[in-house]
Amino acid sequence: MESIGYNIMGGIITVIVAFVVGLTYMGLSRKITARIQNRKGPPFYQNFIDIFKLASKTSAINHGFMQHIGPAFMMITSIMSVLIVPVLTGEQWFSNLNFHGDLIFLLYIMVFGPLGMALGAGQTGNPNSAIGVTRGLSQMVGFEIPWVMALVALMMQYHTTSIVDLIKVQQEQGVWLMFSSPFAFIAAVMAMLGMFRYSPFDIVGAPTELASGPVSENGGKYLFTLMSSNSIFAFAKLTLYVDLFLGGAGNIGELLLKTFAIYLIPMLYGTVSPRYRTEQSIKYFWGWPLFFGFLAILQASFF
Amino acid sequence: MEMIYLIFIIFLGGAGATYLLGKINDILRDIIFLATLLVPSVLFLTQVSIGETVNFTMAGFSFQWGITYFSTIFAYIVLGVGVFAGIYAVKAMKGKKNLNFFFANYLLSIMAMMGILFSRDLVSFFIFWEIMTWTSYLMVVFNGKDVQKVGIKYFIFSAIGAYAMLMAIVTTYSLTGSMMIDSLVAAYPGFDFSMQLLIPILLLIGFGVKSAMMPLHVWAPGAYSHAPMAYTSVFSGALSKMGIYGMVIVMVSLVSHVPEGHWFREIIAWMGGITAVMGTLWAIKQDDAKKLLAYSSVAQLGYIIVGVGIGTPLAMMSGLFLAVMHGLFKGTLFMAVGAIERQTGTTNFTEVTGLIRKMPWTFLASLFAIIALAGIPPLGGFIGKWMLYESLIGSEHYMLVIVIFFSSTAAFLYCYKFLFGFFLGQEEKEWSHVKEAPAMMVVPMLVLAVSTFVLGVFPGLILKPIDAGMQMLGYTSTQGHFWELSVIFNDWGNQVAMQPIVYTIIGIFVFFLAFLTIKGYKETRYVTTKDISSSGEVPKEHENLTFAVNFMQPFFRAVEPLMRRQIDKYYNGFANGLEALFDFTRKIYTGNGQTYALYAIIFAVLLLLFKNNLFG
Amino acid sequence: MVGSPVLLIAIPLLAAFLIPLLGMIWKELVRIIPGLVLAYMMVLSASLLYYVLENGPIIEILAGWRPPLGINLVFSPLTGFLTTIMTFLGFIVWLFSYRFKRNVEFEPAKKYFIFLMMLIAGAVGIVLTGDIFNQFVFIEIVGISAYALTAFYTGRNAAEASFKYLLMGSLSASALLIAIAIIYSQLGTLNMADIANNIHLMDPNFKVIALILFIVGIGIEAEIFPLNGWAPDAYTEAPGPIGAAFAGIVVKAGVYAMVRMVFTLFDVSGATEFLLIIGLVTLIIAETTALRQEKLKRMLAYSSIGQMGLVFVAFGIGTVEGIFAALFLMLNHAIIKPLLFFSGSYLVFNSKDKKIKEMNGLGKYMPMTAAFFALGSFAIVGLPPFAGFWSKLSILTAAANEGMLLIIALILMVSVVEIVYYFRVVNRIYFFKFDKASTVIPHKPRINAVFAMAVLGILILLIGFYPDAVTGVLHKASDDLMNTQQYIKNVLSLGQTLTN
Repeated sequence: MESIGYNIMGGIITVIVAFVVGLTYMGLSRKITARIQNRKGPPFYQNFIDIFKLASKTSAINHGFMQHIGPAFMMITSIMSVLIVPVLTGEQWFSNLNFHGDLIFLLYIMVFGPLGMALGAGQTGNPNSAIGVTRGLSQMVGFEIPWVMALVALMMQYHTTSIVDLIKVQQEQGVWLMFSSPFAFIAAVMAMLGMFRYSPFDIVGAPTELASGPVSENGGKYLFTLMSSNSIFAFAKLTLYVDLFLGGAGNIGELLLKTFAIYLIPMLYGTVSPRYRTEQSIKYFWGWPLFFGFLAILQASFF
Repeated sequence: MEMIYLIFIIFLGGAGATYLLGKINDILRDIIFLATLLVPSVLFLTQVSIGETVNFTMAGFSFQWGITYFSTIFAYIVLGVGVFAGIYAVKAMKGKKNLNFFFANYLLSIMAMMGILFSRDLVSFFIFWEIMTWTSYLMVVFNGKDVQKVGIKYFIFSAIGAYAMLMAIVTTYSLTGSMMIDSLVAAYPGFDFSMQLLIPILLLIGFGVKSAMMPLHVWAPGAYSHAPMAYTSVFSGALSKMGIYGMVIVMVSLVSHVPEGHWFREIIAWMGGITAVMGTLWAIKQDDAKKLLAYSSVAQLGYIIVGVGIGTPLAMMSGLFLAVMHGLFKGTLFMAVGAIERQTGTTNFTEVTGLIRKMPWTFLASLFAIIALAGIPPLGGFIGKWMLYESLIGSEHYMLVIVIFFSSTAAFLYCYKFLFGFFLGQEEKEWSHVKEAPAMMVVPMLVLAVSTFVLGVFPGLILKPIDAGMQMLGYTSTQGHFWELSVIFNDWGNQVAMQPIVYTIIGIFVFFLAFLTIKGYKETRYVTTKDISSSGEVPKEHENLTFAVNFMQPFFRAVEPLMRRQIDKYYNGFANGLEALFDFTRKIYTGNGQTYALYAIIFAVLLLLFKNNLFG
Repeated sequence: MVGSPVLLIAIPLLAAFLIPLLGMIWKELVRIIPGLVLAYMMVLSASLLYYVLENGPIIEILAGWRPPLGINLVFSPLTGFLTTIMTFLGFIVWLFSYRFKRNVEFEPAKKYFIFLMMLIAGAVGIVLTGDIFNQFVFIEIVGISAYALTAFYTGRNAAEASFKYLLMGSLSASALLIAIAIIYSQLGTLNMADIANNIHLMDPNFKVIALILFIVGIGIEAEIFPLNGWAPDAYTEAPGPIGAAFAGIVVKAGVYAMVRMVFTLFDVSGATEFLLIIGLVTLIIAETTALRQEKLKRMLAYSSIGQMGLVFVAFGIGTVEGIFAALFLMLNHAIIKPLLFFSGSYLVFNSKDKKIKEMNGLGKYMPMTAAFFALGSFAIVGLPPFAGFWSKLSILTAAANEGMLLIIALILMVSVVEIVYYFRVVNRIYFFKFDKASTVIPHKPRINAVFAMAVLGILILLIGFYPDAVTGVLHKASDDLMNTQQYIKNVLSLGQTLTN
């Protein structure tokens, strides 16, 4: 009973940390993007203001029960991801559900969220959300392939599907997997560009083209849930990358440093890229990233 | 009277009684039908013990019927889907014509499947296989649509498969002198190589047709969509598994005992993988729900074939587990489509939409089934997929992992299409009259759907019989090694413990649902789907904003090269060629009497000329 | 025993000649007498068969001259079995056609029944006789009756079909006569057992020539390729029940004669292989041609030819299992094909061309007839649990035991073709829309026809579910054919004889 209490507390703390860090990063990205574009940009804590404003609003209308379930599904995904991914190595507070799931489980739970969101968006009946969803799903098929290839290469090389084990391997070897499995890293980073939905892969929620895609019709509390889920999910993904390729993090400071470093990649790439159409993005992912994925697998099977 | 005989006699008699009584009274017929489904099932579950056999001889062959651990798994699928689909069918088929015939045929079909599972000798196996084929054929042509193209195509493929099997059976008989399956298994390693190659290939053609393996799958989309939906649940959920049943026996008991068998299994696994990919891609393209589910079935069977083909304990478990799950969720989905067809009259996504508020229970069942199909935790499909991936990685089939993963991800597209197309999206005025399907149809759906959830949390419930079956086939027990009641492991010891995960998921879900709804659900008002944000103007009631045509257009533009060739066209070309050839041979019979006389004389002359070569 | 084998031939012939006379007394007698006669023959044949199965064959001497000089009849398990099938079928054909041309004129009905009697008498004679010239005579009797019956519907097509049959029949007769002459000149005897006993003394060249001429002559009757050109026309133009009689009775007699030649009389090596090849060719060409047919009865005719080809394949395997399979096939075909002809003739009753296209949607108006046709189709294709399955299984196992894998594959491929064309017709009957504008008015069958078809249907189901009912007889019959020495011994030493 005691340990369950500790576990629940640990989980909640992890989620709160993820929430705060995620929002901060997103705010920082707005600031940095603005500076690159030679304007001042909003303060880095803008997202907090936005989100609490949203939480305090009430909605006059609703579009049916699926619209409520959608964001709930999204939260399930983000929180489960954060709980499965080892946040800090060796810390008892943050161990959560680390040992109860593995990489493949994570892959599938990561898909659940967008699907739930899509269902929620569907009930509103807004054709824009439907179009956005189809684009999003198609794009997902695109980037998942090199992503999976990279992961499979890692799994092959070290004969494990547990993230905790992969961290241990890096600690024992003393070398980050970024360097010992470079092709996997490259393929995974290219896939990450699709995951974060910054340019050039932001056709899903393309603000200037489609009235926001799947998130249209969601305001107030729904948008609050979506935004927080996004930030928690972003944190989870970044932490995953850190754990897999950068050797995990022993304390919060190290974690923040490493995750922000990874985060810079899609953010900066996005500021200088135009937008791809959906089929272009799919074809992109099945080009170079797939090639690097193959190289990663080859490397894993021969070395 | 032996229990096994009793079961079959009840089925047979029940079928006849259903047909005859139906001419008198409908309600009586329904009662007899349900009784004939339920009584043998109960008898089977309680009275028949594994390993007990009945023997008799007829026409010079000895017959043996009995159930084994391995066939029990499939018997659960057949009876489970059969009973629930039967309950569903009673209501779903109301008002249609020829119902006596339908119900009688349904019973015969279930009897045939049970017969296949009970057969311990090859002759009864073949007999029941053929009965299963023609009863399902009669179902495919039941509605009378496209009978020559779809029905006959189904029968031709089934017949080719069955006859290939028959050839293998008689060859086995001549080689071993016995028709028992066990004697074939025992004698197989001793055959010479050409026989070792020929017999499994022939058997696999037969089983491959029924389990819709590429390239023998072309009958499936037509047949599944044209049969009445109540039967298609059984057709896709249980009947296709008969092919898997045979395949596993061939793979494990025969081919594995031969060193070259390894290549055989590789080829089968890859064919399963290709089936999975192509089936998924074609499923996404379909606008008719029935065809979409049909292609989806083909793809899901591809996964099962991969698992069965790889053959390691984990892979076999995943294949069999996916088989059980597929029966459950596909059965539910076909029942849902049948319900929608009954309530709205169409199953085309471009025609009907927005049913979520009108048919909420159907939606709920479909939601569960689709989530299970997609393989998302915590429902049962995830367990199967997880084990499949782990087994592929563990047995170093890395390319297959990519292929299966691609197919699995693409499956999300048609999963979403199914849910969005029917239930979500715009509510159009023409469908405002639609009501929920009757309880007798909805309850079986929900039962099957909920069972996918239960099996997701407690996979051990079904893994136990699967394990027993596998032990019978020669595997060592996997309990504790690969699974516990609700934990699954892989080759390297990594695990997924379902219970804590599920509790967490439920916790999060309830919390956020409450958060979103508690304050103000009553105060907010529901608005129709026309009341949406669209750049400042509110759409009028009559405007059609449904997005359904070309639903996944960008995806298709990207995968277009993969879908250029259709195997169906090759078959049609071949058939046309044959007909032309036969037309040519027909002309030998010129209709002219003198020609015939000439033939006779030429024949005599030829024989006389070549008499020394022919005779003596 | 209610009589002796000779009655099986004598009584129908007598009845045939008496019918016109008795018909002058009371018209109805024309229809009743054949029924009585056939019923009697059926009972007699069955009881003799039962007797023979227990006690061994009956050899009956005619006119007091003992073999090898005189003519004798042989009622053995094999011949008795075939005779029983033929008489039973004759009875069914009579039952079906009892009201044939009832309300039309009297003349044709009289002719119909006369020739029907003669046809059956001749066929039974071919099977029972032990003398080759006697067999030739019966072949001619069958021929004449068949030509007349084919031309029954006076019209251009029927006359043409009959003429073709006549032409081929004459060729057959010529070939047979030359063959008989050769044998007689070489061996000095016409008795089958005696020939079999002395055949090894014959000059090999003459032997083979005689065999070839016999094959050509009997082959025309047994419908092997390429001698069967007359058959589709004859089956199509003859009245429905006569088509059934041809398929069920006449061709069986031809097959028997062929097989007797090859297995018993001649000891030429390569003869059974020849039967196998020619049967296979017949099977393939007939079934593939059937696929392209537009007329129902023509399609059934080709199917019949194909089945006979399959029977020859089974005989050609050469082992006793092969003969068992062949006889089983003959039995099943004798039951199923008439059912198809009977129901088929009602399905196209009022149509002039008798095309399959005109059968759309009749399942609703003629449920029983359509059901019988469907039952027949399922059975003949070989689907369990109907009768045809067991015979198919037997032939395949017999072939497998001899390692003839290619033959098995070919047989199965042809089976798929069979399925296609039969099921196409069944689908048309049930699932196509009935064309109300067409001139084909559904004609419901009379009670006697229904009864006849029902008997056949029940038999199909019975044999399907319980083949052991007939396998005992079949085993004895097949042993009988293989055992040439026994045959010779039985006849020449007069086995169990009945002096007349």
